[in-house]
Amino acid sequence: ILTAFIIHLQHFQSSLQSVLLALVLGAVVLLVLRRSKAAVLKTEDGWWGAGSPPAGAEDESIRPFRVETSREEIEDLQRRIDQTRPVPSLEDSQFNYGFNSTYLQKVAAYWRNEFNWSKQVDKLNQYPHFKTKIEGIDVHYVHVKPKNLPEGRTAVPLIMVHGWPGSFYEFYGILPLLTEPANADDVAFEVICPSIPGYGFSEAPRKKGFNSVCAARVFLKLMRRLGFGRFYAQGGDWGWQITTNMAQLDPTAVKGLHINFAPVENVGPLVILSILLGRRFPGLFGFTELDVKRLYPRVEKMLVEPLKETGYFHIQATKPDTAGRGLNDSPVGLAAYILEKFSTWTDHEFRNLEDGGLERKFSLEDLLTNVMIYWTTGSITSSMRFYKENFAKGFYPPHARIPVTVPTGVAAFPNELMHTPKLWAKQKNHKLKTYTTMARGGHFAAMEEPGLMAQDIQKFIKVVEGKK
Amino acid sequence: MQAVEAIQKALQELDRPKLQLLALSSVGIGLTYFLVWRRKAKKSIPLGDGWWGHGQQTLRDDNKIYPFKVETSEDEINDLHRRIDQMRYTEPLEDCGFQYGFNSNYLQKVVSYWRNQFDWKKQVAKLNEYPHFKTNIEGLDVHFVHVRAPHRPGQKVLPLMLVHGWPGSFFEFYKILPLLTDTKDDLAFEVICPSIPGYGFSEAPHKQGFCSLDAARIFLKLMERLGFNKFYLQGGDWGSLITTNMAQMKPQCVSGLHLNMLAVTKGGVGMLLSLIIGPYLPFLVGFTREDVRRLFPYFEKNVYDLLMESGYMHIQGTKPDTAGCGLNDSPVGLAAYILEKFSTWTDRKNRDLEDGDLEKKYSLDDLLTNVMIYWTTRSIIPSMRFYKENFKTNPQNRVDARTGIFVPMGHAAFPNELMHCPLPWARWRFKDIRSYSYMPRGGHFAAFEEPRLLAEDFVKFVRKVEGKKR
Repeated sequence: ILTAFIIHLQHFQSSLQSVLLALVLGAVVLLVLRRSKAAVLKTEDGWWGAGSPPAGAEDESIRPFRVETSREEIEDLQRRIDQTRPVPSLEDSQFNYGFNSTYLQKVAAYWRNEFNWSKQVDKLNQYPHFKTKIEGIDVHYVHVKPKNLPEGRTAVPLIMVHGWPGSFYEFYGILPLLTEPANADDVAFEVICPSIPGYGFSEAPRKKGFNSVCAARVFLKLMRRLGFGRFYAQGGDWGWQITTNMAQLDPTAVKGLHINFAPVENVGPLVILSILLGRRFPGLFGFTELDVKRLYPRVEKMLVEPLKETGYFHIQATKPDTAGRGLNDSPVGLAAYILEKFSTWTDHEFRNLEDGGLERKFSLEDLLTNVMIYWTTGSITSSMRFYKENFAKGFYPPHARIPVTVPTGVAAFPNELMHTPKLWAKQKNHKLKTYTTMARGGHFAAMEEPGLMAQDIQKFIKVVEGKK
Repeated sequence: MQAVEAIQKALQELDRPKLQLLALSSVGIGLTYFLVWRRKAKKSIPLGDGWWGHGQQTLRDDNKIYPFKVETSEDEINDLHRRIDQMRYTEPLEDCGFQYGFNSNYLQKVVSYWRNQFDWKKQVAKLNEYPHFKTNIEGLDVHFVHVRAPHRPGQKVLPLMLVHGWPGSFFEFYKILPLLTDTKDDLAFEVICPSIPGYGFSEAPHKQGFCSLDAARIFLKLMERLGFNKFYLQGGDWGSLITTNMAQMKPQCVSGLHLNMLAVTKGGVGMLLSLIIGPYLPFLVGFTREDVRRLFPYFEKNVYDLLMESGYMHIQGTKPDTAGCGLNDSPVGLAAYILEKFSTWTDRKNRDLEDGDLEKKYSLDDLLTNVMIYWTTRSIIPSMRFYKENFKTNPQNRVDARTGIFVPMGHAAFPNELMHCPLPWARWRFKDIRSYSYMPRGGHFAAFEEPRLLAEDFVKFVRKVEGKKR
């Protein structure tokens, strides 16, 4: 609300008024600005299974898991696709009203007739999957170790957390680049890709209140159970929030945090000042050309655009069970809902294309595999509940006010949903080691530009490890 | 004093013809000024025009009115049953009531009734108890129900149009129709219940931009085609906006406008002041005690609650095609989406209940009939597009938001309506309010939930208007 108010101060266009305002705000900033104390995020234990926790210790075994399918599953899917009742889109509306009906029929036809789910399941199983019970629910993850590690080298442990409407599968393109890097002096990683509880093959919590801090706590327990005392973390979308919370909960365990999404949660006086004056005095705030292009004009970029794209957020944060109900019966409805994001969040300009530019950066095979993970597990509703759980206490929960004190690297992709200039990232991440303006790419960075992302992770790691 | 004397002296010095010229020109100037000033105070908004069919407009409108019967088939019912059987259940969180949306456990009960006991053929027969028609306006087939009053000697029959909203339909008015058309006293109504284009049996627009102004104009054309020169209007939800637009476009045709929902569009300093002073000195800002009870605490009731309840509006106002896609294949999804509103918008406290208290005020038969209208016509997506079309241009800057309403207006303020609008706020836009009533009970779907209360207030309003006419 405060930001919206600031943005509406378009009245202050004259230089004199700007300067006066700057002086006033400068004074306020000096008086009020103080670095938030390096507090540690606190949390309590939880239990998310049905009913009450059973007596005795939890079963901590790690069980191998294989993704499976059956003829029944595939036939049921095909039957439902055949039953789709399409509604034509308005003339010349492209993707501006949501997923275009004509193109959706093409996607559905491909899904029905060419997409090979059995083959994709085999592809999913190329890496080893596991499940283990934590806080009463089964947590699924993929564990990938480097195959050809040179003598005397150890792999660096890394946890990569996905977001919505993605999954662990988004990382399948980048995994080989991280575990078998081409460059001899690149770091080789041992990667854990879990599924957030309620998403895909991870069991959904049965009780209210499972938010990002709970997910962070569960993933910290997972890493501990796997024997990793110290590790790196990478994330975008909800993955950003969860890995950030992990760093806040246990700064000693998280060696470094690499994020490709860094929205500002706590709008302090410096951020406000930069919004007001950044266009006229970009140098003052270290704003690059991209920063100015992405942030101004203020009202359009910070108010109108986000409003246009946050309808899903609003309904999922308030009525997730209603929002997901129809999508769990209609695969085509589910695909439209999810793939609309893969179009628009890759590039806003794609809204003006008949086919949403979907196949420019992704293959239908990969996109539908991700959708199938939601479909076959029936997890769309539980995935949406995560939004409500995270905003139950409003927009400024305790963790939004606590900074991140572990070494952080930010990869700023030019078409990301919300752009964060370096100055803003520094407000939250007090040990910002790298901030890279990436050449191209949008929200689903790991899936869209795995090469660029892997490069930046390597760059970040070398800075952190080099310093040691 | 001196100036007056000077003028008197100057006038006395003029000869007759000049005096006459002066008098005439004064009157002329005065009259012109008066007329121009009056026109500046805009009392109506432009009608505009439109065409919403496929491709280019080639033929002229076919003005005929065709009778229409709602129909169904074994195929339609079997398909519905098959889809209901295919529902993939998701367990709700423990103890969540309706807070996360429609509770999945209660949904199973509703769905089971729908699958095994609901008789669509019987409901279709019920729908056909009143005569339906379709007529082509601006390239679209517009559906409406036309209910005539039985001829009773000594009874004055007034024409009336009732306009529904989302996620409702003409069917919401089926309980109030007999109360308005089949009365025993001196006043009765001949009622037209249309379906908004894109809803139910009215064809959906094929072109972008179809907003409430277009719906208003189409309904005005409908009344004209049916031979009504002057009529009453009643509406809630979108119906409230559309009927208001109708009154703004052709005030000379609207005898009176009765609304059960008022959206406060123009805020400003006046509203802010009344919000600050209202709780403490209500009389100073024109608030009654009931206003204070319904409005405050303001932030919680109006801002927070509105945020909690407007997710649907946000997604429908931006991505309607995506939002409605799954609902058009999954009848259970559609029912959950629509019936959640019938629960929460009837009483917000229903959010804490396992069954959303849905069957307290409504029968499952009636609720599901409304859902079936969306289901069988596949109109959920076009119905959602209406939100986007109306929010495309900033609603506060649109021509109708900047123009007042000068026809006689009556408001029935139901206690559980989504937003409460006190009389002083209503007066900013409605310049001739004849009746403002605090209803004792009822929520958003007033005609559906409390038909008798609404009918009584409406008739009371009409009598006031008709009384003043004589």
